[in-house]
Amino acid sequence: MRDPRVDEYAGLLVDRCVGVQPGWQVSVRATFLARPLVEAVLEEIGRRGAYPILFMSFESIGGPFERVAPLELLREPSPLQRRIWEDVDAFITIWAPESTSEGADLADERRQALEERAKPLRARTMAMDAPWVIAEYPVHSTAQDAGMSLEEYTEFLYGAVLLDWDAEGAKMRRIADVFDAADEVRIVGAETELTVSLAGRVGAVDDGHVNMPGGEVFYSPVEDSAEGVITFTEFPAVYFGHEVEGARLRFEAGKIVEATARSGEDFLVKTLDTDEGARRLGELGIGCNPGIQRFMKNVGFDEKIDGTVHLAVGNSYSFTGGTNKSAVHWDIVKDLRNGGRLYADGRLVQENGKWLFDEA
Amino acid sequence: MADPRIEDYARLLVDTCVDVGPRDQVLVQSSPLGRPLVEAVTRRVGERGAWSLLRIGFGADAGWANAAPEELLAELPPIERHALETCDVAITIVAPENTHEMSAIPPDRQQLLRRSAAPIMPRFLSDEVRWVGCQWPTPALAQEAGMAVQQFEDFLFGAVLLDWDAERRKMERYAAAFDAASEVRIVGNETDLTLSLDGRTAKVDAGGANMPGGEFFYSPVEDSARGEVAFTEYPAHYQGRDVPGVRLRFEGGCVVDARAASNEDYLLSVLDTDDGARCLGELGVGCNPGIQRFMRNTLFDEKIEGTIHLALGAGFPQLGGTNVSTVHWDMVKDLRQGGRIELDGKVVQQDGRWAL
Repeated sequence: MRDPRVDEYAGLLVDRCVGVQPGWQVSVRATFLARPLVEAVLEEIGRRGAYPILFMSFESIGGPFERVAPLELLREPSPLQRRIWEDVDAFITIWAPESTSEGADLADERRQALEERAKPLRARTMAMDAPWVIAEYPVHSTAQDAGMSLEEYTEFLYGAVLLDWDAEGAKMRRIADVFDAADEVRIVGAETELTVSLAGRVGAVDDGHVNMPGGEVFYSPVEDSAEGVITFTEFPAVYFGHEVEGARLRFEAGKIVEATARSGEDFLVKTLDTDEGARRLGELGIGCNPGIQRFMKNVGFDEKIDGTVHLAVGNSYSFTGGTNKSAVHWDIVKDLRNGGRLYADGRLVQENGKWLFDEA
Repeated sequence: MADPRIEDYARLLVDTCVDVGPRDQVLVQSSPLGRPLVEAVTRRVGERGAWSLLRIGFGADAGWANAAPEELLAELPPIERHALETCDVAITIVAPENTHEMSAIPPDRQQLLRRSAAPIMPRFLSDEVRWVGCQWPTPALAQEAGMAVQQFEDFLFGAVLLDWDAERRKMERYAAAFDAASEVRIVGNETDLTLSLDGRTAKVDAGGANMPGGEFFYSPVEDSARGEVAFTEYPAHYQGRDVPGVRLRFEGGCVVDARAASNEDYLLSVLDTDDGARCLGELGVGCNPGIQRFMRNTLFDEKIEGTIHLALGAGFPQLGGTNVSTVHWDMVKDLRQGGRIELDGKVVQQDGRWAL
């Protein structure tokens, strides 16, 4: 018999997260390691009178084809692939890699080609043109990165996803109200003093829809507004299997004018040079998930840690008013729980990761 | 290090069987167990400058098939249909975990699922799309064949990695004799069946749509089959089910009486799938020297040297066949013990040995 939490999780994804309707065609992307959840999701989709379109792979990023195919072919989705992305009614993606270093062997030009290929898909999901969710399923690789056994990690994961999402949503709504009303946000912390403008932008509350776990409030900052320095001293920045330690970014008029790192600086700079938009901010997010307290080298969780913010360089979400376009969207997490502060229009609203207004 | 035979197998499939060319859209279908070959195939597809669209599934997908409303089962989702209608190439690598996984789905639902394939079947039965079906040696297939996994692996590679040019020349000689004849008679244990190949020509399978290849086959004239055939040597095997001792009586090309030693209900339910399911779609002659024994695995069994097989259901349009059905059930008849094939009254094969 299946762990009953798997069925509960599948119900959450199919119902709450994407709201599958009769007759829909639902893209289900996963690796074969996510089998119990994949099977429960397919069954749940069937119960709702809809079709699953299953795309299962061995590697989550890259693979034998991606290593050898001519670059120009890699850059372009096949007509069939493009049509699939255009036609499906919802996307459920289940993250369960065999190794979290997948993709690390891909040459930069191949990685960039793959990001280029995904543009039509990204255009649809970023505009929320179809409901989508990216969910985690516990496997050894992600447990290992989190420094946990699979059993511990499984408990942790269900603790972060099987929450009362209506209550979490109400709490985050009150946090978003504070930032919606403000024009300027200032982030202060270790080697960090950064100002961004949210004027005219409204936040999105991730209350268990597009990400599972959910638990963040996020914005597309005004594209030319970021000024100052942010240093990610607490946690490494992780992207496509690469780790960059101690990344320090200096912004002027919204653009990164200086990027250094203790290690992985080459990768950092190369990624920022992917295209025009990669040096601008695509997102400011605020982590709010009470089930997540520690960093685990897994951006889907780390960006939700209660008491952190994250900045994404690159592509922004058009549904939160963003206009920055890039093939890159790299979320980097800054911990504010040890001496960090958040100001909204000059008013201190969070200190040491704790809200100074009544969020309950 | 990887078994070098895997790379040979992948090249045989991609280069020889379907000849993938630049910018082809190639569907690669399998299960997680097919991974070594799937990876070698997708790499080869990439090397030839074509797109690989990977479609990996967990076997029968019974969870969905049992939970979904019946009207959904009978129709492919538009996206799947579009994929099958527009792909240039399809490579299917059968790699089951359990050869009986379909038994989790009730026969009436299986029938609906079979019906869903009807709109795309003409494309696959004609030469419009280049496709190949093959197998990967999983423990389930080895078990079904009564072999140890490694033994089955050696057997499979032995049946697949042949000199296909030499095999082709050999089979073309046999096929020429059939092409020239108008009537074929098959005689054997409880069997005396006559059918006409008038105006029909053979397709020689020497490493094309099936791997292993090793047969030549026809779509017989649709209303010609008459007489009886008894599949007494081996059970008829279809979608994970065995039907032992099938006896069919043909009149005017179609089955007028069908019986079985057991599982007769299943036999009849398949024959009642649609109008064409009772008529003959194929006569095939097995010629693969690497395959000598029955192993409950149609892809191999129909190639056993010294056997013929008859398929109920869909015929091959490119061979002049006009029978339409969503069923295509190959049943193998062993002729090596007292059987014979006659062409226009002349014995051309006796006890499974060619007299040509």
